[in-house]
Amino acid sequence: MALRIEPRREVTWAARLLAPIAAVLLTLVFGGALFWTLGFDPLATLYAFFIGPVTGLYGLTELLVKAVPLIIIAAGLSVGFRANIWNIGAEGQLTMGAIAAAGVGLFAPQGLHGLLLPLMFLAALLAGMAWAGIAAFLRARFGTNEILVTLMLTYIAGLLLSWLVRGPWRDPMGFNFPQTALMPPAGTLSPLDPRFRVTASVWFALLVLGLLWLFVSRSFAGYRLAVGGAAPRAARYVGFSEKGAIWTGLLVGGAAAGVAGFYEVAGPLGQLSAVISPGYGFTAIIVAFVGRLHPAGILLGGLFLALTYVGGEAVQVSFGIPAHITRVFQGLLLFFLLASEFFTSWRITRSGA
Amino acid sequence: MNFSRRRLLQGSAAFAGALALPRLAAAQDVLKIGQVNASPAAEIGWSKQHALGIEAIKAALGDKVQVTVVDNTFLPQDAERVFRDLASQGHRLIFGTSFSLGQPMQKVAPQFPDVAWEHCSGIVHLDNLGTFEAKYYEGMYIAGIAAGHMTKTGKLGFVGGFPIPDIVGPGNAFLLGARTVNPDITCSVVFLNSWFDPGKEKEAAQALMAQGADVILGMTDTGVCVQAAQEAGVYAVGYASDLTSFGPDSQLTSVVLDWSSEYVGAAQKVLDGSWTSESRWDGLAEGVVTLAPFNAAIPEDVRAKLDAAVEGVKSGEIQPYAGEIKDNQGNVVVAAGEVLPGDAVRGINWLAEGMIGTLG
Amino acid sequence: MATAIDEGMTPRLELRDISKAYPGVVANDAITLSVAPGEIHAILGENGAGKSTLMKIIYGATSPDRGEIRYDGRVLGHHSPAQARALGIEMVYQHFSLFETATVAENIALCLPGRMDLPALSARIAETAARYGLSVEPGRLVADLSMGERQQVEILRCLMRDPRLLILDEPTSVLAPQAVEQLFTVLRRIAAGGCSIIYISHKLDEVRALCQRATVLRGGRVTGSTDPRTASAHDLAVMMIGSDLPVTDHPPASLTPAPLLSVQGLSGRPFGAQGRALDGIALDLFGGEIVGIAGVSGNGQSELAACLSGEAAAPAGRMALLGQDMTGLRADQRRRRGLAYVPEERLGRGAVPGHTLTQNTLLTGYTAGLVRHGLARYAQARARAAAIISRFSVKAEGPQALASSLSGGNLQKFILGRELALDPKVLIVAQPTWGVDVGAAAFIRQRIIDQSRRGAAVLVFSEELEELIEICDRIHVLSEGRLSPSIPRGEATKSRLGSYMTGVGRMH
Repeated sequence: MALRIEPRREVTWAARLLAPIAAVLLTLVFGGALFWTLGFDPLATLYAFFIGPVTGLYGLTELLVKAVPLIIIAAGLSVGFRANIWNIGAEGQLTMGAIAAAGVGLFAPQGLHGLLLPLMFLAALLAGMAWAGIAAFLRARFGTNEILVTLMLTYIAGLLLSWLVRGPWRDPMGFNFPQTALMPPAGTLSPLDPRFRVTASVWFALLVLGLLWLFVSRSFAGYRLAVGGAAPRAARYVGFSEKGAIWTGLLVGGAAAGVAGFYEVAGPLGQLSAVISPGYGFTAIIVAFVGRLHPAGILLGGLFLALTYVGGEAVQVSFGIPAHITRVFQGLLLFFLLASEFFTSWRITRSGA
Repeated sequence: MNFSRRRLLQGSAAFAGALALPRLAAAQDVLKIGQVNASPAAEIGWSKQHALGIEAIKAALGDKVQVTVVDNTFLPQDAERVFRDLASQGHRLIFGTSFSLGQPMQKVAPQFPDVAWEHCSGIVHLDNLGTFEAKYYEGMYIAGIAAGHMTKTGKLGFVGGFPIPDIVGPGNAFLLGARTVNPDITCSVVFLNSWFDPGKEKEAAQALMAQGADVILGMTDTGVCVQAAQEAGVYAVGYASDLTSFGPDSQLTSVVLDWSSEYVGAAQKVLDGSWTSESRWDGLAEGVVTLAPFNAAIPEDVRAKLDAAVEGVKSGEIQPYAGEIKDNQGNVVVAAGEVLPGDAVRGINWLAEGMIGTLG
Repeated sequence: MATAIDEGMTPRLELRDISKAYPGVVANDAITLSVAPGEIHAILGENGAGKSTLMKIIYGATSPDRGEIRYDGRVLGHHSPAQARALGIEMVYQHFSLFETATVAENIALCLPGRMDLPALSARIAETAARYGLSVEPGRLVADLSMGERQQVEILRCLMRDPRLLILDEPTSVLAPQAVEQLFTVLRRIAAGGCSIIYISHKLDEVRALCQRATVLRGGRVTGSTDPRTASAHDLAVMMIGSDLPVTDHPPASLTPAPLLSVQGLSGRPFGAQGRALDGIALDLFGGEIVGIAGVSGNGQSELAACLSGEAAAPAGRMALLGQDMTGLRADQRRRRGLAYVPEERLGRGAVPGHTLTQNTLLTGYTAGLVRHGLARYAQARARAAAIISRFSVKAEGPQALASSLSGGNLQKFILGRELALDPKVLIVAQPTWGVDVGAAAFIRQRIIDQSRRGAAVLVFSEELEELIEICDRIHVLSEGRLSPSIPRGEATKSRLGSYMTGVGRMH
């Protein structure tokens, strides 16, 4: 009596909605079991991981500090993902955006005042787009695989950053440590409230989500991308441009990642150092898929993934659980998400039944 | 400021209360101490020596203290939150053990004036932010004398993590020590721009040995140089921890950092209520810098000289940075008859004459 | 003859009360039938009547929920296709499974047990082919064979295993009329040797010409069992579709003075090296007429259609739409000028499978008021989808049903309805009734005629000659990338068209 995998004839909306929720619940259950086997009280540790960090206003704002770059990048990436354009190099585009923003912040003539931040923003946006644009050009012109190109460009961006902070951009007053000088005050985003670190990037993230919603569910351009992603031959049949989809998908993702780099440099970082991101560009890919490429889902996914970071720190602080627990939770979540995804579209039956 | 602190504490009190009830009951009497490390926990090296500092606190003060360690906090964005969380949760003494943690500590410390902050390798002092650092160069000077006696080629090798004063200064002292034996000795320099990159470090060590260096000093967070020297049959000098296990035959000695007195001292002062923000810089005399047992291959008469040099440094009779000293561009950086002052030593950004290489 | 077989011997195959349900549909409902040794037995029914499921059950590819299968009097339990082959049951699928880069002999060797001894095998192949009148050369590459020849290889592959029951699924769909006759001769010889044949088809005339017995299915049930040679076409049609075969109304055409679509000297390979090369195609299409393109698939049909729609470009040639050059225009630009196209692949090309019918209305409706200021007007698209569903009797849960949830025939009705809703000046339709049931096919044909009579120029690609003869005003044959002269309605007979298809009547 063998087991067989069959496609489900119908995939209900309820199932689509329940799948990520089930994945989160299973992650909690297995995570709790993991804590228990490590000798901790599973409920207390789960509480410390997932609830504790967000019980206060400060905790909530810190969650936003972590979630905002994830959300901005994931929203941008989801545009390309809908068209089967696989930009997995957002980390590099973020790095280039951060470099461009810092370059403007450090070297623009003084006295720009209110103009400096917009200039840094613009520079970061263009740098992110340009970095992704390389992959778009190569794919549209030569059919190069954008997965490989964007990924390899990430390493190049990382090395460029490394060279800059150790060489020409190293802070002359920084005792030779590989970091730049701090951004000037005019190039630093003030927190929305002096008690917290959260900046205007939150409003920008909401704006991006709103635009994404408009793009996805109302715009004809978004529809064309979706057709190109779901059925390339149908897109060709009605004359939707494939090159247009490649350029749009990559440039939008690159722009979003670049801007996220700006918000890091002008916000919590305040300078460039050899490492500027805990892998936001890669985690954002998970966020995009946890959120099913939908703005509301990306909002929730971004908050949840941010919580795994903050919660990981929290259990380290309060229980001494190693920091790598964050990665374990992210891995568990991804695993269960793929599994529940699978079971919404397929089912396992006994053959001969 | 007061208002904001209260709000912060409210939030985190709910957090702490919810998950650590049994501990909170005793929290009033117990001093909560936090330590934040940029790198992961390790068996040897920088982090290990700081972990030993925490162990020393536990051993000395027992249940009067309760310790929280947060490892792997290498991004400043995250460090700021971690420091704030620790302070909010009632940690009254918080150690940051890496130069890179300076920015976030300087941001958070003023918001928690009741907390004592101690930054190892730090430069900036605030009312409630103290720094402590070791005079690595004292130990390296002695190790350099040993190297000067043991080298056959007259060529030394130096693999440094970053070209920061804390590394460049001791590197210079290593050669200065060796040149007391033979003024023609040179030292080739490589900076990895990483504390932990075993692959690159091994390549660097092998390149130095290929150029003829037969004593290698590694100032990183690994035992790679000592191990590479062992494999090649030459000598090495260790740093931070005793690295004998990586090269039982190769390690001449190691400049071992013992932070116990810094950690226990700070904790005791906070308990007594006598803690103030200090800038401490201790060396061989205070026992913060020690030397691992000398290699058996070092002849008896050389050992006696080394022991005498240790005593000389401790007493101040021997000053490693006594002039005249030139940098490797030929400029006199310390005039004859003068001794480089402490602040200048901590800000060294030149390589001494005989050092082959550049900063960066 | 048939009666003598029926009563004299144990049936080769007997099905009793076979039922098989899939979620939402009963594919087979208490089917009982019996096939005698040496009998050619038709399973007649429209698409969706349950023929394919029944064949899969016999061949062991799926198991029935209920019922009993007897083979030579023995009850078969759950059997696999491998066991079925061991019992002498062989199947020729509609879509072939041959390796194009291997020779005929190599392909056949792959299906036979034991060591591969190609020279000996080639001799056996030649001998078997001669016995049944098949023209198969063992040494030829499959890639060089025509569709009819490939089918002969498939049949031969079965014959090499000495089958006792041979199942053929819609075997004539890929054949020119002359090749059909040849196939029937071969099948009669096979049956004369004692092998039973199950012949699956929805074509009445073929079944009446070939089979001794027909079991008719409709909606998963047996609606009749008869001798098709003696039954009237009316009786069979009633059994198959519940009513008489519908006929279309074909009023006389009145043509526009100038062609609406004009093609000159279209040559070369639009799909690159894999595809077929077009050879100097010239074509004029006037408003008010329907022009057919006949021919077996693979002779340049896809290439020509893609060139006309704008999905591909031929290296040489000019095309004009409504008197203006359109050679360099993209598909969307041609659509905005009044061209509409129903491609032969519905799912994935004519419609996005994972999208709703509303979204799929937008797919081509963007040229006609469904997009404003860059925003899609989903409310209007939904209303239009609902109108198409009701006007074309599309069986769907509504405008929000996914395209992939529709049967092929219903999706075809939807796509045709969608394109007709644009009121195109030039309409190109490829394989308008593939997989569509008889009633719906007549409906679709009538709509195509109506559109042409409203002044549109219509071009129909089809493999079904009967269909083209029924609806077209003129018919070209496309063979090996070349277009024959057009044959006017009335002169276009199957044999005349067939001679062009096989190259005999080429008159360049």
